[in-house]
Amino acid sequence: MSEMLKSLSDAMADAVAALSPSIVRVEARKRLPTTGIVWSAEIIVTAHHGVERDDNIKIVLHDGSRHEATLIGRDAQNDLAVLRVPGANLPPAKIGDNAGLRVGNLVLAVGRPGDQVQATLGVVSALIPGAEQKPAEAKGKGRRREGMQVLLDGYVQTDVVMYPGFSGGPLVSGDGAVHGLNTSGFGSGVSVTVPVATIRNTVGTLLAHGKMRQGYLGVGVQPVRLPEAVAHTLKQETGLLVMSVESGSPAHQAGLLVGDIVVALAGSPVEHLDELLALLHSRAGQAVTAGIVRGGEHREMPVTIGERQ
Amino acid sequence: MNIWQQINESAAGAVATVQRAVVQIVTAEGATGAGVIWRSDGLIITSAHVVVGRQPRRDLRVLLADGTTHPARVLAYDQARDLAALSIPAQGLPVIVPGQSQQVRAGQWLMALGHPWGTPDALTAGVVIGTGSALPESDGRNWLALDAHMRPGHSGGPVFDADGRLFGINTMIRGPQVSFAVPVDEVVAFLSEAAAGGAALPGAPEAAPAPRPQYV
Repeated sequence: MSEMLKSLSDAMADAVAALSPSIVRVEARKRLPTTGIVWSAEIIVTAHHGVERDDNIKIVLHDGSRHEATLIGRDAQNDLAVLRVPGANLPPAKIGDNAGLRVGNLVLAVGRPGDQVQATLGVVSALIPGAEQKPAEAKGKGRRREGMQVLLDGYVQTDVVMYPGFSGGPLVSGDGAVHGLNTSGFGSGVSVTVPVATIRNTVGTLLAHGKMRQGYLGVGVQPVRLPEAVAHTLKQETGLLVMSVESGSPAHQAGLLVGDIVVALAGSPVEHLDELLALLHSRAGQAVTAGIVRGGEHREMPVTIGERQ
Repeated sequence: MNIWQQINESAAGAVATVQRAVVQIVTAEGATGAGVIWRSDGLIITSAHVVVGRQPRRDLRVLLADGTTHPARVLAYDQARDLAALSIPAQGLPVIVPGQSQQVRAGQWLMALGHPWGTPDALTAGVVIGTGSALPESDGRNWLALDAHMRPGHSGGPVFDADGRLFGINTMIRGPQVSFAVPVDEVVAFLSEAAAGGAALPGAPEAAPAPRPQYV
């Protein structure tokens, strides 16, 4: 039996050691450096909130060598920043897929805020689906979600301790692979891991365009409970009440009015603010249908999502 | 599979099983805590502070893991133990499997489910710090202390082991890293005292046939 604990301990330490060359220190703010993950030979992903300046960014590798890096772009909504070390040939981290993670799994948060690689242990607390992954038949069902303002299209919640400088580092599971990027940048004391699929999408967009194409409607909204009859028909308990409409905005052009309740966008139900943000995130320039409740009646209207400049 | 992956499989399996017997408790103001299904005919255990203010709350609803919502009634409560029993009008519910407090040992790996941070069914885990009434915070009462990261919404939810056996009901935290649960034996004692005191309670989990509670 004692060998089992030793095997577990060794498996964890082996995984950290194997990943170590792909975990770098990122010096891009005044005091505490943060951690980055080698995504490909020249590309490093890290936490947006740890990159406080756009220039004079340094990367320190596991062998102690220092390299200049340039900022390719940021995805503030998902707290990601993507850096390039021109001409480098860095060893990419082993990347896992999110289907491999389950609630209850033992996971490590790995960081390199100093010279040495460091790790903390915790469990996967919850796998929060994004708005697009939420099946239509599940809307209005399931447990109540409240107060959480994490602006991500799906994420992993863990109880790992985010040691100072760990933001931007990987979440590692039993296969020794990276299952996301950890950040404490969303506050509220929750350890959030940005999933691999989101990182992949952001890296692709930033390499192609240099910035995220953030969609927007131009409305101020707040979640409200739907009138009972409407809630019953839509099988959905809440929507987003329009409190203000920006003049000349996509919402204004589409004819959205103060007092309308947004209940769906592009075919996906909208019950919470984070769902609307996630749906807008990748849809700049697209013509979609918005489901609203006006005067107690459900209706649909076309709207062209704008791009936030 | 290495041993880490094997352990992950086993832990995830226990969580998935227990999760089906975990409920969310909702009042008119919103979600207040968690609870566990003790009997398949609708007896639910939670923390007293989740469902009792000056008086037992009358606006309680229980959300089950299958997404259905049921009105709930407080059958009995004990604020000293921080336990309450609720009933919902339902049958054939998945139940928690109770363990025994004497099986809990310091250093053992236990998990806790609840609905903290507005996140439904969030897990935390850690090792048993200690049990009994000699802990510094105990005030002479029995506790199960765990070095897990509980938050307020965990209250009323289960503490369980890798076999999915219930060892405690989450009750409070002392700092971010020390969590307390009411040991499962206290739950059993609470239910038998409540039944002896005239509360309309069914018997112990394995006792059958038990009288059905009356729903009015």
